[in-house]
Amino acid sequence: MKLTVAGVRVELDGRPIVQGADLEVGEGELVGLIGPNGCGKSTLLRSVYRALRPTTGLIAVDGDELVRLPSREAARRVAVVPQETPDDLDFTVAEVVHMGRTPHKRALDRTTRDDERICADALTRTGMAHAADRRYAVLSGGEKQRVLIARALAQRSGLLLLDEPTSHLDIRHQLEVLHLVRELEVSTLAVLHDLNQAATYCDRLYVMSAGRIIAGGPPADVLTAELIGEVFGVRAAPVRLNGSLGFVFDRLP
Amino acid sequence: MTRRTGFSLLVLGLVAAIVVATLLSVGIGAVPVGVAECWGIIVNHVFPGAVEPTWTAAQEQIVWTYRLPRALLALLVGAGLAVVGAVLQAIVRNPLADPFLLGVSSGASFGAVVVLIAGPTVLGGLSLPTAAFLGALLALALVYALAQRGGRLIPARLVLAGVALAYLFQALYSFVLQQAQSGRAAQQVLFWLMGSLGAARWENLPLPAGVMIVGLAVLLVQHRGLNALTAGEETALSLGIPVHLFRAQLFVITSLLVGVMVAATGAIAFVGLIVPHVARMLVGADHRRMLPVTALLGAVFLQLVDLAARTISAPQELALSIVTAVFGVPFFLWLLRRRA
Repeated sequence: MKLTVAGVRVELDGRPIVQGADLEVGEGELVGLIGPNGCGKSTLLRSVYRALRPTTGLIAVDGDELVRLPSREAARRVAVVPQETPDDLDFTVAEVVHMGRTPHKRALDRTTRDDERICADALTRTGMAHAADRRYAVLSGGEKQRVLIARALAQRSGLLLLDEPTSHLDIRHQLEVLHLVRELEVSTLAVLHDLNQAATYCDRLYVMSAGRIIAGGPPADVLTAELIGEVFGVRAAPVRLNGSLGFVFDRLP
Repeated sequence: MTRRTGFSLLVLGLVAAIVVATLLSVGIGAVPVGVAECWGIIVNHVFPGAVEPTWTAAQEQIVWTYRLPRALLALLVGAGLAVVGAVLQAIVRNPLADPFLLGVSSGASFGAVVVLIAGPTVLGGLSLPTAAFLGALLALALVYALAQRGGRLIPARLVLAGVALAYLFQALYSFVLQQAQSGRAAQQVLFWLMGSLGAARWENLPLPAGVMIVGLAVLLVQHRGLNALTAGEETALSLGIPVHLFRAQLFVITSLLVGVMVAATGAIAFVGLIVPHVARMLVGADHRRMLPVTALLGAVFLQLVDLAARTISAPQELALSIVTAVFGVPFFLWLLRRRA
């Protein structure tokens, strides 16, 4: 599954939030979208899953423009782990994962053995099979995130969108979630906050600033001390640890 | 015991409870009729001559002509109020939502009060149910207009617009009541406003029954969409639910159901608020199981409430909202404390 975003402009209440974004996610790629708060990265992601409608530009999956597809069809192509899921959802883990089958079902369709198998498989892939009957509300933050990813997998779409999947998680769970996403080998576009984690786990990165994508490519090419200084307003000193790229940060003088 | 057999047993138990509560309800009253006789009377009307009569003609008339249509209306309205409450709680994502939050029942009450007080000639010979229904439609149109922006229904605004309009319509019908010449008519209206199944007859059952059965069937199959909405608007969108359209459709269906119910029985409080919470405690929040259980529980609950309303201070009949409040409020407070 391949995502193409070309010349996308998104306005909220008449204010341009995204002004001309171009990006691509190729088959099986994990692509990170990074940028400072308010740069428009979440807005761009939301327009990909049709929560917002771009004023101009093209968003297409495998060549089919998403706004032209019926909602159910679009949801069979793009699955999302949004930021806002309520913490106290009164469902069991299995019930949350079964929500992922929604776009494959019409009103009178029953839940089939196939659905059960797909949901069980999604829970296994995210390491949550043991918790199927537990209540979602009592899980830890990391476990909740795994369950939401399982729900997205149960959707059987070719593209996964993650909106800050590691926020509110402690460092161990952050790394576990990113490792899991890495292992899934599903085409993924993720809005990420931590630059070092983005550099470690992503195949490619796009950097957004003030509504525009200003750089894109493999992490080692994109993340330079100059660019980080310019975009995030911090001083970044590159370090190499176990062969992977990283930075330590300091305030600009 | 697996979850599935547990659920099946619960449904079977509730169906049995409905049958028992209904037989009790048609048997108990000023003229008592035994459960076996009630059963015989009903069977004989469905399959004439199937049972040798052991009852008097008067008993038969009371059970068949008065008590049975009333009991059936109780089941329908109980199920309807409860399911509408559950659906509204999902639409506005607020556990305190109930059919009265929309302002629709106040609009219906206003229409009914005008006809009851001013007489049917004022509105060109409208019957009470029609006037109540038109009042509900008027409120529905106003709430809808106020709660939307660019064709999208905004849940927070829906709650605010509903509450504000409810107060407005209450003020309007209170004014009409105050201006009423006859104290007797005003008292009759007050009684009706707080809910009563006393007007149930076979001849006025088909319309509410038809609307309710169709409306409930439509709502019961929306479980996937309702689950998705519960998980949040963005989640629902990402699962392929056209959220704004879906919410608007549900709002219109539930409002029409409320209009029909208020027209048939007046405004019965608390059922739509409490019953969905109990259903969630029993089977969880998944609407696939929760909605049918809500419907069955609501039916049993209102049947028992009506039985209590008729018998507690017989021969006087209590308004249903008095009974639902007496049982409902302590239960609700207990629920709140348990959750905290």
